[in-house]
Amino acid sequence: MLLQLLANGLCAGALYAIVALGFGLIYRTTGVFHFAHGAVYTVAAYLLYLFGATMGVPTIGAVVIALIGAAVAGVLSEVVVYRPIARRISSPLATLIGSFGIYLFTVNTIALIFGNETKVLRPGVDITFSFGPIVLTRFQLLAFLAFVAVFVGFLLFKRTQLGRLLLAFADNPMLVEVLGWNTSTLRIGVFAAGSILAGIAASLSALDVGMDPYVGMSALLMSAVAVIVGGVKVFEGAIVGGILLGIVQSLVVWRLSARWMDVFTFIILVLFLLLRPEGLLGKAVRLEEAR
Amino acid sequence: MDLSKRCEDVPTLEVRNLTRFFGGVAAVKDVSIAFPPKRITALIGPNGAGKTTLFNLICGYIAPTRGEILLGHRSLRGLKPWQIARLGIGRLFQDVRVFGKLTALENVLVAFPNQVGERFWEPVVRRAQTLKMQRQNVERAMALLELVCLADRANTTAENLSYGQQKLLAIARLLAMDAKILLLDEPASGVHPAVLETVMNLMTSLAKQGRTVVFIEHNISVVLEVAHWVYVLDDGEVVAFGLPDEVIHDRVTREVYLGV
Amino acid sequence: MNYLFHILVMIGIYVILTQSLNLVMGYTGLLSVCHAAFYGIGAYASTLLMTGWGVNFFVALPVAVIVSVLLSFVVSIPSLRLKGDYFVLATLGFQAIIFGIMYNWVSFTRGPYGIPGIPIPTLFGFAFDSPASYTLLSLGLAALVVTFIYLITSSQFGRVLKAIREDEIATQALGRNTVLFKTTAFALGAGIAAIAGSLYAGYVRYIDPTSFTVAESLFLVTILAIGGSGNIQGPVVGTIILVLLPEVLRFLRIPDTIAPNIRMMLYALALILVVIYRPRGIAGEYGFE
Repeated sequence: MLLQLLANGLCAGALYAIVALGFGLIYRTTGVFHFAHGAVYTVAAYLLYLFGATMGVPTIGAVVIALIGAAVAGVLSEVVVYRPIARRISSPLATLIGSFGIYLFTVNTIALIFGNETKVLRPGVDITFSFGPIVLTRFQLLAFLAFVAVFVGFLLFKRTQLGRLLLAFADNPMLVEVLGWNTSTLRIGVFAAGSILAGIAASLSALDVGMDPYVGMSALLMSAVAVIVGGVKVFEGAIVGGILLGIVQSLVVWRLSARWMDVFTFIILVLFLLLRPEGLLGKAVRLEEAR
Repeated sequence: MDLSKRCEDVPTLEVRNLTRFFGGVAAVKDVSIAFPPKRITALIGPNGAGKTTLFNLICGYIAPTRGEILLGHRSLRGLKPWQIARLGIGRLFQDVRVFGKLTALENVLVAFPNQVGERFWEPVVRRAQTLKMQRQNVERAMALLELVCLADRANTTAENLSYGQQKLLAIARLLAMDAKILLLDEPASGVHPAVLETVMNLMTSLAKQGRTVVFIEHNISVVLEVAHWVYVLDDGEVVAFGLPDEVIHDRVTREVYLGV
Repeated sequence: MNYLFHILVMIGIYVILTQSLNLVMGYTGLLSVCHAAFYGIGAYASTLLMTGWGVNFFVALPVAVIVSVLLSFVVSIPSLRLKGDYFVLATLGFQAIIFGIMYNWVSFTRGPYGIPGIPIPTLFGFAFDSPASYTLLSLGLAALVVTFIYLITSSQFGRVLKAIREDEIATQALGRNTVLFKTTAFALGAGIAAIAGSLYAGYVRYIDPTSFTVAESLFLVTILAIGGSGNIQGPVVGTIILVLLPEVLRFLRIPDTIAPNIRMMLYALALILVVIYRPRGIAGEYGFE
């Protein structure tokens, strides 16, 4: 029983980890609290629906379109909204509010076009696989495999020149600019990459349980919690946070009830913000250095 | 404000063996200085010598690693910045820090201590007294703005003032606070000569009244003109001190500034 | 005519809500996204007192205010030492937690089933049962709230809050306990929001948690951002836009099924444009700069 719960949690956490990695990548590199990450997530899900279900494009093709659409949506956020704001105001709160505006606009447009009801892409019961005492559905397995692929891909990416450049950019954007790199292109790249990650998670989730216009909000909130819990300053923090979140939620649902899962998640968020804001993987800030 | 009125019983501000580490680096190392009343003390030294850090330690924004900070007999260690300010220590910041969206008048008004109307129920429950004090304070604020030649700018928002005007405004704020001990971080930098004249006269008058004036400066002619006593800091330590004329022409000081 | 009264009642309730958030956001500079939680705490506290213990509305209201103020300390005391994004996130967390408790503690709040049958407010035998009389109540309370906020913000208390918003460190250097001021402003905001909550409960006479969600908190922030904050006029302008826009859409014959979406899209667009081109909103003084 416990093993099954852990496995369920791991697979749920796998999706959290992927979308949170996208969010964390953007937050750490650009400093933008990209609330609209939730909108990008929703766009991907609905593009999948539009092409996969309505237009009958084969699933793989529809997923590719969804990922491209997500990347476009993310890049548009940066170019159309964040950049103009940054040119005029230095306060990060202004960007946060602008980001929220993007989310509101996008989600309501989608609700307008597609309606508020839940859409399902794949009716019926799913194929399952057994691994000893654990039973996984096709999509749980896919989620886990996607996670492994993303994780390995990310570790490899960190070793490439581009990866190292991004890490440097996250630490010191001005220095990178001085060294001759085009920071605005880098930022666009980061938004594209982060959005593709959101798109991967959104597609898998949409194929599994379907979607409604408000799935983006909970994806975003889970991303924020995962990034805070895992640690903002370390990219892997989002991954660790996401997996842990999935597992903890699974256990909470078993122990308490599904109803209290959300409350519990946010209690964890608040506790970390207050007691360990640097997250599990972050270096503890010395009391004397924090003001 | 009547600058001829004497300011009595200003306690001596003193730091003893004050040390502050950031990571492995000592920003302030074993510094012992006394700042008695009626004296204008200058702190000079190259950038990064620890002068502003010293001010931040005294004002309570950072905690010392070792050492003592005393106001009279009273230790300031562990007190919060607002508590230290209430004890009469006023601070002019290097980056001025005026309240941008408030008018010049409001900037000064907010600085008067112990106002009726500061506790949220007072403007409702003690309406008459609140209004009366407000009227009095507006008069006092206008007088202070006159003193720093900003009276015609009373209703301009502070962010629309020039740098020099903002600096004068910040000083007016300190006067409104009735600070007994004034810590001025680069009062002369970036200001017009006429403004500089006003600032130097103010510093001298304040000290004559009986207050303590401490200032950080890079402008050596200002130091020579107004300071009674000078300390030279380098790498967090006091490397020289004495009368301005002697210290400034001393070999050590020249070495420290020019690396000769 | 009744419809006009309805609009006026809602204006009264939302003026109180926006002015109270304005105290926290516009004057003190704290971006709080848990304001709907205090709105809800006020509604639930007075409702439970009225339905459970038969308390009169005008006694339940001040008690609800006190409850909201006390609960605000639970949020503000730990969170106010967090900076920037982290403070906002903490308030978001508390909003979600408080909503979750309202929704899931079914034995106490009846959760998603809500609490029906809230009695009509009565005062010394006079019942506010007609649209006209409730309009009087709503606008009357709104006027009291606006007067109170005007009085405290145009005096030193308000000046210190604005100074904290502009530069907290410089305010401390002037001898002010900025943490105490921030906590006070937050508490006042929460208490006044509870007034709006009680008014709402007495008006619609049925409450459930879905009126007090994260979305509602974010919506209040949006209205303040568009209308403006940091002075008395901004929130009033914001409230008027908020209440009139649906009427304009109706006038344009936009169908009711899509009207809410169109409304939110327009707010979102206005929000983005405001943040880029006019950060202080239509009539406000402060723009998160």
